[in-house]
Amino acid sequence: MVESEVNLTKTYDAIVIGSGAAGGMAAHVLTSHGLQVLLLEAGKKLPIEKELRSMEWPYDNPYRGQLPPDSHSLSFNEYTIRNPPYGPGFEKAKHLKSYIGSSDYLKNIVVNERENPFTGTNYAWVRARCLGGKTNIWGRLALRLSDYDFKAKDRDGFGENWPISYSDIAPYYDKVDLYLGITGVKENLPYLPDSIFQRPTKLNCAEVTLKDSLAKMGRVLTQYRAGVTTDGLKHNKYRSRCYGRGACERKGGCDIHAAFDSPTGLIYPAMDTGNLTLRTNAVVREVTVDPQTGKASGVRFIDNQTMKDYVVHAKVVIVAASTLESARLLLLSKSRQHPNGLANSSGHVGHNFCEHIMGPGVAGRAKNLVGKPSTLDDGRPGGFYLTRFRNLAEKHPKFIRGYGFEGGSGSTMFPRGTDAHGFGAAFKEEVRKNQGAFVGMGAFGEVLARYENYVDLDPFVKDKWGIPALRFHYKFGDNEHRMAEDMKETAQEMFEAAGFEIVNVSGRVLTEGWSIHEMGTARMGSDPKTSVLNQFQQSHDVKNLFVVDGSAFVNASCQNPTWTIMSLCWRSCDYLADELKKGNL
Amino acid sequence: MAKDHPIDLRQDRRQWLKTSATVLGASLLPLPAVAAETSQTAPAAPETKPAEPKSAARFLTPAQHALVDELTETIIPADAHSGGAKAAKVADYIEQFLRESFDDAEKALWREGLRLVDVMSRHYNGKSFVEASPEDRIAVLTVLSEHTQMTDLPEVRFFIELKRLTIRAYYTSKIGIHNELEYKGNRILQEFVGCDDPTPASS
Repeated sequence: MVESEVNLTKTYDAIVIGSGAAGGMAAHVLTSHGLQVLLLEAGKKLPIEKELRSMEWPYDNPYRGQLPPDSHSLSFNEYTIRNPPYGPGFEKAKHLKSYIGSSDYLKNIVVNERENPFTGTNYAWVRARCLGGKTNIWGRLALRLSDYDFKAKDRDGFGENWPISYSDIAPYYDKVDLYLGITGVKENLPYLPDSIFQRPTKLNCAEVTLKDSLAKMGRVLTQYRAGVTTDGLKHNKYRSRCYGRGACERKGGCDIHAAFDSPTGLIYPAMDTGNLTLRTNAVVREVTVDPQTGKASGVRFIDNQTMKDYVVHAKVVIVAASTLESARLLLLSKSRQHPNGLANSSGHVGHNFCEHIMGPGVAGRAKNLVGKPSTLDDGRPGGFYLTRFRNLAEKHPKFIRGYGFEGGSGSTMFPRGTDAHGFGAAFKEEVRKNQGAFVGMGAFGEVLARYENYVDLDPFVKDKWGIPALRFHYKFGDNEHRMAEDMKETAQEMFEAAGFEIVNVSGRVLTEGWSIHEMGTARMGSDPKTSVLNQFQQSHDVKNLFVVDGSAFVNASCQNPTWTIMSLCWRSCDYLADELKKGNL
Repeated sequence: MAKDHPIDLRQDRRQWLKTSATVLGASLLPLPAVAAETSQTAPAAPETKPAEPKSAARFLTPAQHALVDELTETIIPADAHSGGAKAAKVADYIEQFLRESFDDAEKALWREGLRLVDVMSRHYNGKSFVEASPEDRIAVLTVLSEHTQMTDLPEVRFFIELKRLTIRAYYTSKIGIHNELEYKGNRILQEFVGCDDPTPASS
């Protein structure tokens, strides 16, 4: 649909802001209930298959898959020594990208940092402004949370419990599994509940060695639980099943959509109902409020390209702009009735900001595979997941909460081990002989949701559209650093136990934000004084306002958030549709 | 050149820099590179094809291109298993990378590095890098490879960049992916074949 043809004069049942995992799910559920929905996306609809080109060989790409020369992506060192908004020192790069935008395939998906500045403490903030957002490039690991996470306060006294239990969300995890497809193996773990899995991928030999060794230590290694359909989805004509083509390691991006993405998984099917209107290039700057009732009346947005201002109305407003952008939008939406920003009578909007700490890990070699003929190891959406083992039955003396490892083994299109010392014939042979023997894994750990970690609006800096930029006040704390030390030690110990030759053990913590798993800036809770949303992601203050993305999380757990974002959103939107029909909103 | 004792890079370079300034300096000045830069900033010549505006001015002179060819081949040589950097046209990739780069510091490092590596070859081998035997070329790069922590020295930083770009270009080339690594993926699979013989990795 041409943007000028989008009807902005009628009052929609619901406006959804953001088209990623949360916004796509809201659009899907609400249109399936027959609601008239307007979906707003700040970026454009990219010709995504042409962007991703999943099977393109590097030598057929003018830059071998790297960024074009007028673009630069921030490195770990640059994040460490420079402060946002990354102005001076990068003048020569016409397009400045976050660390993940270091490939020719993602260059139009992630934003130009210069147009989207932020200030304050260092943060590797990865943003994708285009239809589908970060689901176009996500890592696909799709894990459930359990009551070890929802009721974590009961176990260690820290923070708050979620206002829901596993039993509340379990039926919705099932719905997401069946509607979008997930691959994995049942393990019957109380702290990492199983999904309804499609055909699992297989472990390769080094991974089986590690799994068997870990079993003796009482630890669990399982096939990567990927939000990828391995059997296909009869109800979805936009997605193909996985054909094991590999190239998933190019940081996500599946041009046959076997890996879930919001457009093909949720938005296009929602459009087929006839109930969804999509408006791209709509940069929302405010949720507007009815001056009489104090309720949300709609949104104001600026056209990304023409810079023209628009107002559009709806009975219900659903914010799904991603954890940090959603908090920013609530803070921007100040009015006489809501002087601290919308839904912020508690003062908690922007606070309790949490994510996953990463960096520590280990790389090694399975000695029996060194020098063996080349094998096909990357024809699957992921390698393995090593589940949490800390603070389950026993309490760790140095830190609370847990971490898991993501890892893999075997040969890849670009070989591992090119960081070997030296050069020449010996170097070349070493890379060749070792490439298939590689085993590696890196940890993802829970960052505690603390009130002191927060974002607010910068009083001076504005983005390209004149909207105040976000300012970060966010640092890892002692618990995270003690956990990171333990990650390093256990990683080494587990590889040694498996008999791998260890090549590198790293305890280096990556810049805050590296996991791209930001959560918790508008947390749920039963007490309106200490939380922003109720258990249905509905604002305590504004009944017809819902915030359905990761910002609603009460804690980060150590599991990747996408599957929980979508399951929670589905549950909340069922409630929303019901309440709207009853006239309660 | 055959050295049994470890080389003191800092001490040696005082010597070779002195030699190069007095005897060989004039012939080693990166004049062609300067010329290339000038032509890039000059108004576009009428005969320039609009389809490929960036390819008009090459970064490397033919002599420098030949030097990069030998340097990259020394980093990843042809062997019985597969072709090396020359066969994979790594120097062409590096030429394109530098020609299109907006990073003046990187360009300056390459000009200086190419000059210094030749100076080193004359110091240790008595002839230019291109004229030196494969063994003598290895000897020069070994000096740099054994001192990669001395990143204050431009020749060391040059070596690190040379190795990085050679690896990037070689292992993304047809020869690197298909002949050298015999990569099996990037094809449609009905089913991923897992492990059917999980013998312990420690054996």
